[in-house]
This record gives sequence, structure tokens and C-alpha cells, in this order.
Amino acid sequence: MSPSGSRKTAADAAGAGSSISRRDLLAAAALGLATAPALAPTIARAAAPQGQLTYGIHVSLAPTWFDPAETQGIITPYMVLYALHDAMVKALPGELQAPCLAEKFSASEDGLTHDFVIRSNAKFHDGSPVTAEDVKFSFERYHGAAHDVLKKNVAAIETPDPTHVRFKLKEPWPDFLTFYSSASGAGWIVPKKYVEKVGDDGFKKAPVGAGPYKFVSFTPGQELVLEAFEGYWRKTPAVKRLVMKVIPEESTRLAALKGGEIDIAYSIRGELAEEVTHTTGLSLKPVVLQAPNWLYFPEQWDPKSPWHDVRVRQAVNFAIDREGMNKALFLGYCKTTNSIVPYTFADYWQPPAAVYDPAKAQKLLAEAGHGGGFDAGLLYCDSSYSNMAEVSLNNLAAIGIRLKLQPIERAGFFGGYAAKKYAKGVIQGASAAFGNAATRMENFVVKGGSFAYGSYPDIDELFPKQADEMDPAKRAAILTKMQQLVYEKSIYAPIWQLGFLNAVGPRVGESSFDRISGFAYTAPFEDLTIKA
Amino acid sequence: MKQYIIRRVGYCFLSLFLLSVTIFFFVRVTGDPATLLVEPGASDADIAAIHHQFGLDRPLLVQYGLFMWSLAQGDLGQSFYYQVPVVQLYLDRLPNSLLLASVAMGLSLLIGIPSGILASVQVGGFWDSAGKMFALLGLSLPSFLVGLVLILVFSVYLGWLPSSGSGTALHLIMPAFALGWYFAASHMRMTRSSMLDVLGSEYIKLAKLKGLPQKLVIVKHAFKNALIPVLTLAGVNLVIMVNVAVVVETVFAWPGVGRLLFEGISFRDFPVVQGTVIMGGAMIVIVNLLVDILYAVIDPRIRLGS
Repeated sequence: MSPSGSRKTAADAAGAGSSISRRDLLAAAALGLATAPALAPTIARAAAPQGQLTYGIHVSLAPTWFDPAETQGIITPYMVLYALHDAMVKALPGELQAPCLAEKFSASEDGLTHDFVIRSNAKFHDGSPVTAEDVKFSFERYHGAAHDVLKKNVAAIETPDPTHVRFKLKEPWPDFLTFYSSASGAGWIVPKKYVEKVGDDGFKKAPVGAGPYKFVSFTPGQELVLEAFEGYWRKTPAVKRLVMKVIPEESTRLAALKGGEIDIAYSIRGELAEEVTHTTGLSLKPVVLQAPNWLYFPEQWDPKSPWHDVRVRQAVNFAIDREGMNKALFLGYCKTTNSIVPYTFADYWQPPAAVYDPAKAQKLLAEAGHGGGFDAGLLYCDSSYSNMAEVSLNNLAAIGIRLKLQPIERAGFFGGYAAKKYAKGVIQGASAAFGNAATRMENFVVKGGSFAYGSYPDIDELFPKQADEMDPAKRAAILTKMQQLVYEKSIYAPIWQLGFLNAVGPRVGESSFDRISGFAYTAPFEDLTIKA
Repeated sequence: MKQYIIRRVGYCFLSLFLLSVTIFFFVRVTGDPATLLVEPGASDADIAAIHHQFGLDRPLLVQYGLFMWSLAQGDLGQSFYYQVPVVQLYLDRLPNSLLLASVAMGLSLLIGIPSGILASVQVGGFWDSAGKMFALLGLSLPSFLVGLVLILVFSVYLGWLPSSGSGTALHLIMPAFALGWYFAASHMRMTRSSMLDVLGSEYIKLAKLKGLPQKLVIVKHAFKNALIPVLTLAGVNLVIMVNVAVVVETVFAWPGVGRLLFEGISFRDFPVVQGTVIMGGAMIVIVNLLVDILYAVIDPRIRLGS
């Protein structure tokens, strides 16, 4: 339950800069210098973080999420990392690669050296300053999903002085900053001395970071309690205490939000989300994730297949009623797209908007010699999103392309997708993997990509060129050309970037939802406020 | 007697061995846990790294051998998801499950026994019909539905009780009722049939012929004897309650063993699923062993016959 006192404190916190009235100042002047020391603590108290916000979390929190060294390639741990820890460079509102613990950073012209200067007021929760040794230690300690690719490319880390870190690469690697800033936990800094003192397990039990919130307690399967870190470099958090309660059942989360037991509920979908919009005091907070969904045609490289004709693939693109599907399934909160690259990724190229035009789709099919339609086999999909696939299936049936739905349990589906088991038919795929336009092309478009069932030589030729190109503008131009070719060839029929729906209660002022593009959860935490 | 106990203990070990084989291989049929630890679209290298980290790249029989070797040393392995020993996770959650199960059991006995007695003394009457209806609902309504209706009424509409979590007595009421109702129905049915058996026996007829008041006959003479099978059932049910409250604990975010199992299944956390099932199975096997031994102590025909 939220303490009643927090409402008053929220007012203080929200207006920290103006919480001393003219009357206070006049009174202080009248009382003379003797009262000045008394007033000083008053100022400090007014600016101090106060109140409590309680979260209803949809997944069980794992202690591995408290340690940046263990972050796998999933977005969920960042729900906690953004509160407890800080990175040298990370995404902030309006900026994908914002300087954080690093005050500034630069790369040499040959792309072999990356320099970082640490912010002078960056401190850990135990009061110790963030140093170059901590940065080097954190990088070397990292063993999460991107460990191999980082270690393969980084030759050495130098620490010329306590505030200066230099990464030397084996060869130019334009994606270094992408992986160091957002696609891994390697750039999230932990205190070397503390970790060495308590060990890896001890660190997970009582993590110390440089983020806006300090660790207070964690009860597995129940809750995580955090407290504002007043020495945080960016700003002092406005809310004193955050409690993240694990409530796995969606209806229970909504009930807890309605009853005022929690203030922020993650993941409220479908009819429950609609109920939020009809409930006084509650607000729905949709976030568009960096997770596009698409239809993929693995037979397009087979000259005997109808999918070999680009007009058939273009017909599918015109046949899908994205907006209708969006409204029916996600209250219209997904972002329809015509690209498999999330719009938040670096070097994203904005393609022409997807158009729903079944008449044009039928015309294209007829031109391709399939006016009567054809049997296209199976439509493979992750069973969690079979509702989407059903709509696509109906849309395609309307223009004569007949498919049978083959929903497969999530892990099995992605395993089969990667193992290239679905070579016949159509695949409804998705990816929420971190990266940029180049990493997305690498995995899904170019020859040898984990999820590419075939490739086109002109796109393949461009890929190594962009990887060797150190001029960002020239590299972006190559990646743009690649994305244009993907669009022109209709290799995919993209559908949308998934909407993640959350809800907040009446006490929440700034919820910090959707402030960082593509990020599912609340961040930056230091910007959270409670209403007066 | 000694031979009897040795044989029963042998059966227990055999049961646990078969359970370990079943759960070990069965849980692996559910799919690859690595794919749940990466975002869709992750590279093969990422997935291979996770396989290696958790030892899932080894042959199945080697994995099973290592599992059994650890189990023999009291080690249930390390959770893939929480990255802590499963024993620690289990023991952290067990007190919560014991508390919930105890309160739910208390409620189920409090409701089930009196209603069973009332039904048995008025066969075909109002209380019998009401009891049958109560038992039918308790046994047929899914506990998640009961839980959600309770939350809707007592948390959302009335605001009397917290919808989820733990920590106070108020947190216990709804999950204990949702869990206890099913068992209350089962206890009610058992009490009713047991009471009917006893009420039809010769010594009860004699007591009635002697002119004893019906209340005294029921409470003092019939109830005590009718209670024995009910309490035996309650003992076994208590162990089941501790280990199978998966749905109730999930709906009410109650941090017990059932939810741990749910989490293990959700994340394909093989060590957690294996550990939770083995521990639950061990509890049931031990309780059954104790009951068997007690029966043998009480009834020589059992130990001699065997």
C-alpha cells in the first residue's frame, strides 16, 4: 500500500525548486542569521526524494538482472538495470547513445580506438567514485550474450588515468558503440573493489551500482525494494522508494492497481487494457517495442514456387489489413511498419508506408499468373501470436492465397525458424533482438544469416562494404541502400512493431513510460514523480 | 515388522527413482530453455553459449547421471533463472506454502466436518442437499475462477482485502479459502459417508435404544469414530496442498512452492521443476510410508499378511 504521507511529499518533490515560499524567506530574514542553519536543512529536506511508488511486475525478478555482467540478449533485465546501475553510454530520452557515466566519448579516424572520459561527479552507491579501473573491470567481467563478439573485436583496454578509458580494437568495427552502449551489459559499470570483496554471488545478493536507485532488499518471487540515491549524477530522484512486487497474473495486477495497492502495472493486454481506459483514475501507457513482426517467404528463391515472383510477394503486402488487425488485437497501439528494422535502430531507413489495397493485391496476383489464387501450404507462427496469424491468413485467403495455420509453441517455433525447417510455406516471424540496421540485416537478410533462408547477391555484396566503412554517413548510405533493396524485392511483408501495454494509477505524475524509444519499461527512473 | 519396514522403504526409493527419471526426461520434452533466455531472433551463438553454461550441450544420460549424483548429495542443482541453489529457493518458499496449506486445511476442516455431520444426520433433508451442492461446487469450480471472483468482490468492489502478496493475516484469507474450498468439499463428503457408516452400526443403535439424546450420540459416540478416516485423508491432503497450490499461489502472487513450480515451468528452469517435483514427491512418499507403518503397528494383519 502506498503511504498516505507520500501525497504531501510528492508535492514537495514535484516542486522542489519552488518549495520555499516568499513567506519563508521573509521570516528567515526577520529572524536573522541565527535561523540560517535551521533553514538550510529545510531546503535539503524539501529537495530530498520522498514518497513511494509500487510496481506490479509481470515476470519474476531474477538476481542475475542485478548484475550487468550476466545480461543475456533480452530486454527484461534492463527493467532493473536502469534503476540500479548506470552505463558509460546508454539510451536516454531523445538520444540513443547518450553520454552517461562517460562525460564524453570519441573514436579515432581509423576506427581502431575509442576514448571515454568519465564524469567527475559519477559515484557508486557506496560513495566511491567511478574510475577507469571500474570500467575496465566491468568490461572484462562481462560474460553475457555479446561476450564473444566483444572479445573478438576488442584488442585491449587502457586506463591512462582514473578518468580516461581507451578501447583498442583489432580492426575497425563500426558497431562497437552499439554493442557497448545498448546491445550488451558490458558498458554498465560495477565497482571493482566491492565486487572483488563480496564475490559474484555476494554482488547479486547485495548489488552496488551507480544508478539512480540503491538496492534495499530482494525476496525471490516476491519483491525488490529500492531507495533513491541522492548522489546520482544526472539528478536526485524525486521518489524516495520503489517497490517492485511480482504479480504474475494479469487480472490480479489490474485488481491491485484498481485497489490502489500498486501504482504502476506492467503488461495489461486485450480486454483488460480496454477496461483500464474505462476506469476513472487509471491511465493506459502503451509503448511501441523494438520488436517488428512480419511475414516471410522462404520459397522466394525457388524458381518453381509462386513466391519467386516479386509481384506475388508485393500482393501479400497490399493484402494485409494492418490497421484493422491493430485495432482488433491491440487497441490500435502497435505501430504499423513496412520494415523489419525497428524505427529506433541506428541507420534505419523509413520505407513508404504500408498500404491496405486488396484490389491492387488481386491485380498483382493476376499479373503474376495466379489470378485464381493458389495453395501456399502452411503458415508457421509462434502460437502466442496465432491471433495475428489468423488475421493474415484470412486477409490472404481474401485474395486467393490459401494457407493453413501451423501454430508452434514459442521456443519450438524459433528453434525451427533458425534451423531452417520451414522452407515451404510462409513464416510469421519477429525479432526483438538488440542492435542496429546492420545487425538486423546480418541475421535476417544476408547470406548465412541465422534466419535467412536465402539471399540476393546485390545485398550480400553491400554487407561487407558497410562493415568496413568507418565514415558514419557513408555507412548509413550503404545500409539505406540495403534496406531499400529489401523493400523493393519484398523479401518480407512487415506488419507492425508490437505495442506493449501498461497502466498507471492516479498517484503517478511522470511515469517515465515511452520516454526512451522502443524501451518497454519505465526509465529513466530518476524522472518518476508522484502527483500532488 | 522389520522386514515389512525395509520393504516399504525400498518401495519408497524405487518410487522416487522412477519419479526422478520421469521428471528429468519429461521436463526436457517441453523444449529448450535457452530460447526463453534470449529475445526471438537471437543468434545461434548466443543460444549455444547458454547451452554450454547450463551443461545442456552434454549427452542426456550424462546430464541425468550428474543430476542423480548431485541429488544423492542433497544438491538439487542451480536454478537457470534465479542462478541460486534450488534447495535454497525451495526452503525459502516452503514456510509460505506450509502456512497457506495449514490455514486452508483449518478452513476446510472447519467447513467440511460440520457440514458433513449435518448432512449425515439429515439424509435427504435441507442440510444434506445444501452440503451436496456445496461439495459439487467446491469440487467442480476451478480454483483460479474462485480466486478471481474473490479478488473482484473483496478487493476491487469492497476493498476489504489485499488482492495479492503476503505478509499479513489479511493476505491469507482469500488464497486460503480458494485453496481450502476444494478440500472442504472432499472432507465434507468423507465425513458424511463415514458418519453414515458409523450411525448405522450396532453400538449407535444401542446408544439410541438406551435413550441417549441424539446430540450426545452424534457428538460423543459417532463423531469420534467417524473422524479417523477424515483425519487420515486430511493428513495426505495437507501434503498435497503444500505442493499443488500452483494456480492459487499464482493468482494471488503468494510466494510458495506452487508458484516456484509455476515459475520453473514458465521459464523451463529444469532444475527448479525437477527439484520441486522431487521434493513434493518425497513428502508424499514419506507421509505414505509413515501411514503404512502406523497401520502395520495398529493392525498385525497388515504386517503379517505382507
